[in-house]
Amino acid sequence: MSGKEFFVKRYKKLGWTYKQAKPKQAIRINTMNSNRDTVVKRLESLGIVLEKIPFLEDGYWIRKSKFSVGATAEYLLGLYSIQEAAAQIPVTLFTELEDKTVLDACASPGGKTVQLANLMKNRDVIVALELKQRKMFALVNQLERSRVTNTAVYNMDAKEATNLNIEFDCVLLDVPCSGNYVTDKGWFSKRTIEDVKRNARRQRQILTEAVKVTKDGGEIVYATCSLEPEENELNIDWAIGALNVKVEEINCHGEKGLTNVFGKELDRSIEKCRRIWPDQTQGFFVCKLRKQAG
Amino acid sequence: MTMKAINDFVAQFNADIPLDESRIVRNRNRYYLLSKKLKQQVPKGFFYAGAYLGAVKGASFFPSFLLLSMIAERKANKLVIDKKTAWLFICGRDIFKKGILHVNGSRKGNYTLILNEHNECLGFGKIMHNLREENDANKVAVKNILDIGDFLRREKRQPRRQQHSSRLQGRDRKPHKPTRK
Repeated sequence: MSGKEFFVKRYKKLGWTYKQAKPKQAIRINTMNSNRDTVVKRLESLGIVLEKIPFLEDGYWIRKSKFSVGATAEYLLGLYSIQEAAAQIPVTLFTELEDKTVLDACASPGGKTVQLANLMKNRDVIVALELKQRKMFALVNQLERSRVTNTAVYNMDAKEATNLNIEFDCVLLDVPCSGNYVTDKGWFSKRTIEDVKRNARRQRQILTEAVKVTKDGGEIVYATCSLEPEENELNIDWAIGALNVKVEEINCHGEKGLTNVFGKELDRSIEKCRRIWPDQTQGFFVCKLRKQAG
Repeated sequence: MTMKAINDFVAQFNADIPLDESRIVRNRNRYYLLSKKLKQQVPKGFFYAGAYLGAVKGASFFPSFLLLSMIAERKANKLVIDKKTAWLFICGRDIFKKGILHVNGSRKGNYTLILNEHNECLGFGKIMHNLREENDANKVAVKNILDIGDFLRREKRQPRRQQHSSRLQGRDRKPHKPTRK
């Protein structure tokens, strides 16, 4: 069970018609390092044409640039990060980040870690975990370039987060997922439904561990860039039943989460999740969970 | 050793920075300055934490860009360079006198921070001759030792699978030999 036809049929059953999408490159201004308007002016003076992303406070699409936006002095000075528009959404969903202890459970390459630091004004504490040693380099390089100083990075599996002996106010779970065809040209030929199910099982293990290290009343933002419901709505439906969490209302770009997946009725609260089908952005799924007391 | 290595390095810019030694943590040969909260809350065994200050290898100290920025906030040897020179510096080039807009600390042999027109620290170099005395605009005035273009170069330097193990090697390269000219 694989191939483009198989997956496109699934999307159709979920109510979406497949289309090619080529999202524009996006950046996010690191307001902890500079003023937003100042950075925009400096980039425009270099000939870069920016377009404000309507659903993000610090996000801009690159409409035109004669050179890589990853090779400007402003980028190397950490004044902005290159971060896909939909990927900028999850971190903005936490109710409050100041004076909090935050876990970024699957942190590499660090775009969201920097975004967290930015919203926390580089204060308090972020603990960032990354399992794969080869990805650690990109993560710490990103942190150093962006002048993040409130973060501790561990080469550790998110499934072992309890070993840290820390209770977190907020947990970001940008879990490893199957990805989507927009960001990976060969996606349809590489992925099978078995891959998707295997990833979904791993995501449940990470979710379980995340709930354990979250304080009562704490927030967990769960995100994937997968379009497959097994990794999204079905996992959240499972979490509502198996873990001590409730889905919270969020107000962000995207459509309501699916409450009927291939004929299976899910918990009604799942419509509070947001599903972003590929269009101006890559495909994405995001939701906010709150750990219930006791 | 920790503070001495850092202080000795900072002194080469005719500067000093007040660092709370009790919050400096060593991890292998790398040094980090942790905030009080980080120091209290995070357990040992981290890979990276707080403000990375630099690495020591043998008798040499290899600074981070964060440390250079911290020095730049204080009174120290600094050069402000024009836009074109700033770009060339980031590309690993040395600095000619004609690109220098403002000098603070000009003695031959000293280290100096290199700032752009926005007073942002781009790296540091070694002053090759007394800047106030030398009149030849086309002579190398400051030799590039480290610039922020290193963030890109270090990613390209090694194949992906070796990046982690080579990070320290990359950091510990001889500071007087920029990788790209």
